[in-house]
Amino acid sequence: MLSPSRVLEGAVKDTMLKYIGLRLVQSVFVLFGLSILIFFIARVVPGDPARAMMGYLATQDQLQAVRVEMHLDKSFPVQYYYWLRGLLHGDLGRSAYTKRPVVTDLAQYIPATLELILFATLISVVLGQAMGILAGYFRNSWFDGVSRLVSYLGIATPSFVIAILLMFFFSQVLHLAPSVGRIPIMMTAPPTVTGFMVLDSLLAGQFSTALVALTHLVLPAFSLAVIHIAQEGRITRSSIVENLGKDYITMHRVHGIRTSRIVFKYLLRPSIIPTVTVMGLDFAFLMSNAFLVELVFMWPGFARYALTTMLNKDLNAMVAVVLVIGLTFAVVNLLVDILITFLDPTVRIQRRGG
Amino acid sequence: MRTARFLCVMVAAFALAIGFWCHVSLGAVENVVVVNGQPTITTDPATASDWYDTEAMYNLYSPLVYPTPEGSVRPHLATSWQAVGGDLTHWRFVLRQGVKFHSGYEMTADDVAFSMTRFIAMKSGNSGPLGKVTATVIDKYTVDFVLDKPSALFPETLALFFPVEKALVLANIKTSDKYGDFGDYGEDWLATHDAGTGPYMMTLNVPGTRLDTARFVDYFEGWSNEGWGPDEVPIDRVVFIMEADYTSLMTILKGRQMDLEINGGWTLPQLREIQANKTLDLTSCWAQNVTVYMNTKAVPTDDEHFRKAILYAFDYASVVGPWQAFGNGPTGIITPNMAGYVPIEPQPPVQNLVKARQELALSKYANNLKDVKVVYHFCGGLDFEEDVGLQLQADMAKLGVKVEVAGPPWAQFGAECNSAETTPNMTCWLFAPQAFPTHDYYLFSMFAKKGLGWIFESHWYFDDPQIETLLNATRAEADPVKRLAIYTQLQPLIAAHALALYPYQKPTLFAHQSYIAGPKESIPMVGPSENMHNWRINLTLKTQITGQ
Repeated sequence: MLSPSRVLEGAVKDTMLKYIGLRLVQSVFVLFGLSILIFFIARVVPGDPARAMMGYLATQDQLQAVRVEMHLDKSFPVQYYYWLRGLLHGDLGRSAYTKRPVVTDLAQYIPATLELILFATLISVVLGQAMGILAGYFRNSWFDGVSRLVSYLGIATPSFVIAILLMFFFSQVLHLAPSVGRIPIMMTAPPTVTGFMVLDSLLAGQFSTALVALTHLVLPAFSLAVIHIAQEGRITRSSIVENLGKDYITMHRVHGIRTSRIVFKYLLRPSIIPTVTVMGLDFAFLMSNAFLVELVFMWPGFARYALTTMLNKDLNAMVAVVLVIGLTFAVVNLLVDILITFLDPTVRIQRRGG
Repeated sequence: MRTARFLCVMVAAFALAIGFWCHVSLGAVENVVVVNGQPTITTDPATASDWYDTEAMYNLYSPLVYPTPEGSVRPHLATSWQAVGGDLTHWRFVLRQGVKFHSGYEMTADDVAFSMTRFIAMKSGNSGPLGKVTATVIDKYTVDFVLDKPSALFPETLALFFPVEKALVLANIKTSDKYGDFGDYGEDWLATHDAGTGPYMMTLNVPGTRLDTARFVDYFEGWSNEGWGPDEVPIDRVVFIMEADYTSLMTILKGRQMDLEINGGWTLPQLREIQANKTLDLTSCWAQNVTVYMNTKAVPTDDEHFRKAILYAFDYASVVGPWQAFGNGPTGIITPNMAGYVPIEPQPPVQNLVKARQELALSKYANNLKDVKVVYHFCGGLDFEEDVGLQLQADMAKLGVKVEVAGPPWAQFGAECNSAETTPNMTCWLFAPQAFPTHDYYLFSMFAKKGLGWIFESHWYFDDPQIETLLNATRAEADPVKRLAIYTQLQPLIAAHALALYPYQKPTLFAHQSYIAGPKESIPMVGPSENMHNWRINLTLKTQITGQ
């Protein structure tokens, strides 16, 4: 005979699995719809993909041959059929710009950007939460005022401006920070296993390379993180202020519970739920919007690749890039939803239909 | 109090991180040169076509013939060549003996014939202008090429033909139905490996990111120091890194993380900053023509007098003025440094509003100027092209003509020029000889019916039979002296139709550390000036400058 709490726990697990399954099925449909949309949009925007592939000196015969090879002489639905058939075989076609399979390009560029935005997210979580909690707890103090000013500046200043300023001060004027790339130009990169420079260096036993790679991440990641530190800091502050006024906090105080315990055990958890939702969206947003920072720091990443393919009307790569971004949004949002379910019991109950 | 403690911890952590950076930023003087280019897309000579691929080609491979500063070609892998028979469809090339591939094997006619067959069969890269070519091995060092159409300029086109090592390519063929028995013809392998004879060997290639090369000591032209300073030695290792924003490039140039920048996209203030820096130099390598074509099939630039009015109304001095210190100057249909250059109207290139009004009065739009609009497009992001458009807008406003200036992205801009109907009235281009460093590029390719078409001929004017006849004659004329005479004759004829505005020629300025010397010769074509065999490093000076 199972105890009522075990029964409840089992029911929650089942509900969660069903929920995840449903969301996965929904995501497949969303990505399918997205693929149709981007496939057709890519083909109607101005530009000649055959020219992009063949270069300046191509003759009309060569261009025509490429159009036939890429099925560009067929109707849009037929082209989509060929593309979908390729996709089901793990083939996203060949990039007109790099002349390599798109899958190879993605495997090369995605890890560099993922490493960068993971680090940026880490910075924004630590600093954004710290700033938000302190500003909320010490509301209307000098710290709250300074954090408000910093936040407004952070939100209003584009990432690439911050990137250029950071590079100027820390690299050009103070000569303190590495300026470009994932590791120094003359340093030998570790063998590629995951594509994450820090991780690959550790796996290869190159600890000094890992440390250097980490320092190379700081400026670009911080440039990307600033806006999110500001945004998440403000959201966390609002939640903290709101929850501080609630009866259960007052009750804990009346009972003489230590302030640190109140903050970290009872106040923080409900207060970070809105921030977690925003963080998820920010992460996926960075996948496609890090290109200016990648350009400034010569970061060989996915966002920069995405922009290059768009500007060159690289059809296969364009579709793949949008799908990757869509997939990132889908996966991250699912993870955020699951995380929120664990953070907030009311959500669990609602999803059970309670 | 707690807040202050937290902030102290953060500051201490930051200081530690800075200390670590200081420690790792130190380097040692090495015989290595870091060159910024654009990312090399492919290193397969049969598919390479981009500007940056060509730069890589001239380092990893050697062309059959080599471009000269005067706009012709000279022996390189081939020591001599001649047309067999009189119809210019059959050419025989005698190859240099003792040329080694990077693998150590000697290059023979078999490799050259295989490379040409592969080049033509793959129908990609720069093979288009060659047409169909059949290659036959005559003996170990002689190869014949039979063309499907006569061409007096066939040897010049081979400045972009880079032989590969046959055995190595065949050993790395992937199964594919693309080229029959030859599978993928080694395309995938050659995209990231080299099988060449060039001065530098590939040691690492991360497409789009970096290309590492090492000096090939057995390079057939040798590494003589003749003509170089006593401390200037060949560069042992060259690392090509990806492009970046020019603010970042300035940072790494001044921080000596980069030794040479070969794109030359610096802004005016940046050039002044480089000039003022004692450890940096600027080298002018070759010039490019800023060209603004006028679409002769669109209203109102379909009127010759209207086009001439534009040429007279443009204030050349305002656009060129600030750049003159860096070598920008007047130009014409070909660049002034080329033999047979003929200055074109207006001469001198200054604004003449009186003449502009006279021409405008003769045009069919003289009475309805308010109703016409000139659309000027340039490649989005290129400030100097925008400057030309804005200057033109101001100048034409004085005549009562409205000019609309816009910079669409490259893909859209290129697509607009696919036909006369969609080409704007004026399109601004920076034409760098990427193909043939010859008069043929600036004349036949840009004005003949069978020219390069597209953006290269977005004036859409092919109506003068005399010009067409003379252009065709240049390709049938085997005697270079007679051919040059035709080129000289052609320039005023073309200029008379006012098909393009030539604001100025823009030199390609390479910024580099002062311990880098070169190029030994400036060749007006993408590739040879960036051939690092043409550059040296002064290690003594580098040691002094870096203080180590």
